[in-house]
Amino acid sequence: MNYDELVNTALDAGFYLLQYGAETYRVEESMQRILVAYGVENPHVFAITSCIIVTIKDGEGTPYTQLRRILHRATDLGKVAKLNDLCRWVCSQKPDFVLAKSEFKKAAAAPEYGFWFQAAAYGVIGTFFTLFFGGNARDAVIAFFCGSLSKIVLDSLAKFYSNLLFNNIIGAAVIALIAFLSARLGLCDNMDKTIIGPLMNLVPGVALTNSMRDIISGDLIAGITKLTEALLIAVAIAIGTGIVISGLRMVFGM
Amino acid sequence: MLDYILPCLYSLIACAAFCIVYNLRGKVIFFSSFGGALGWLVYLLFHFLQNDVTQSFLAVVVISVYAEIMSRIFKMPVTVFLVVGILPLVPGSGIYYTMEYSINGDGAAFLNAGLHTLSIAGAIALGIALVSSSVRLIYKISARRKCVRG
Repeated sequence: MNYDELVNTALDAGFYLLQYGAETYRVEESMQRILVAYGVENPHVFAITSCIIVTIKDGEGTPYTQLRRILHRATDLGKVAKLNDLCRWVCSQKPDFVLAKSEFKKAAAAPEYGFWFQAAAYGVIGTFFTLFFGGNARDAVIAFFCGSLSKIVLDSLAKFYSNLLFNNIIGAAVIALIAFLSARLGLCDNMDKTIIGPLMNLVPGVALTNSMRDIISGDLIAGITKLTEALLIAVAIAIGTGIVISGLRMVFGM
Repeated sequence: MLDYILPCLYSLIACAAFCIVYNLRGKVIFFSSFGGALGWLVYLLFHFLQNDVTQSFLAVVVISVYAEIMSRIFKMPVTVFLVVGILPLVPGSGIYYTMEYSINGDGAAFLNAGLHTLSIAGAIALGIALVSSSVRLIYKISARRKCVRG
């Protein structure tokens, strides 16, 4: 058996899973299962949010080690679910490596919703969370524009692989800017509700959930990394809205 | 009555939009956003406790159990249902008001709101941890029993 190719296949699975926002323990477990399915005894896999290391030994005891870095991450639960199914399929069917790898690649390149549809979804999130937190209909309309525009800005920033902290500061700042100006112009009544609704787009729900699930499964390092991420995002949101609101208040003298 | 239905409906639609953002397709969208509405209903039903940290905790426990059941039915990762379900509970408004008090220079209110936001985040984390570790324990125990019998 080609052990290099086996490690590569398992790493592909782990890489895509981690890239699209699976929990670290799921990545480690899936890779381990794939390696065991192909007859490797005692494989060692270590994953944190930004990197995977795997070592296996072939029949003669020669070790094969590979490390792969994950530089850009996104949250795409649809792809995670699909990749998870594929890992099960690989474990049960043991296809040859070329087929398995092409299947993983296909799942990772699965279609996403169109950009404008996603921007509209961001808007809808803003609208309904504004209503949810007690805003009125006028606030909700402005929140739609805040939400959609934050998606457009975040996507253009993502093209430059800008960092997490900066992205969220800018995203939150855009939302606060529009809401503040609309409140000044009398287009909406409750500025706070109009900001909080679209802000829910940025809130670190995924990071919080995954960090807890990692910590309880014993991956303390990965869990704490994600928890830090959640805290940083929360701080970034506060900074973004804070800068804009205090700056504009100074300008307009409120 | 409308006080209960409307917020749950709003959270249902907002969660469905989140499913689009997270690239989910098909009937999973309905079932995973239903978790959000269910969680908020539990939150509102325990309103008599007058303590939103406890309310959040109870809601998260219900959402986590729901997510575990749904993930068995649909054979999908638990996070698909869990992440979307807890979103209405994540303290976005807490972050905002903490920031606002800090800008206004109101130190006492800032600390108060900040700690409150942190406790809600903690309650959510604890709820998730509690349910998923119990589920894992139950699985391990039942697997061991099968081994002994087999």
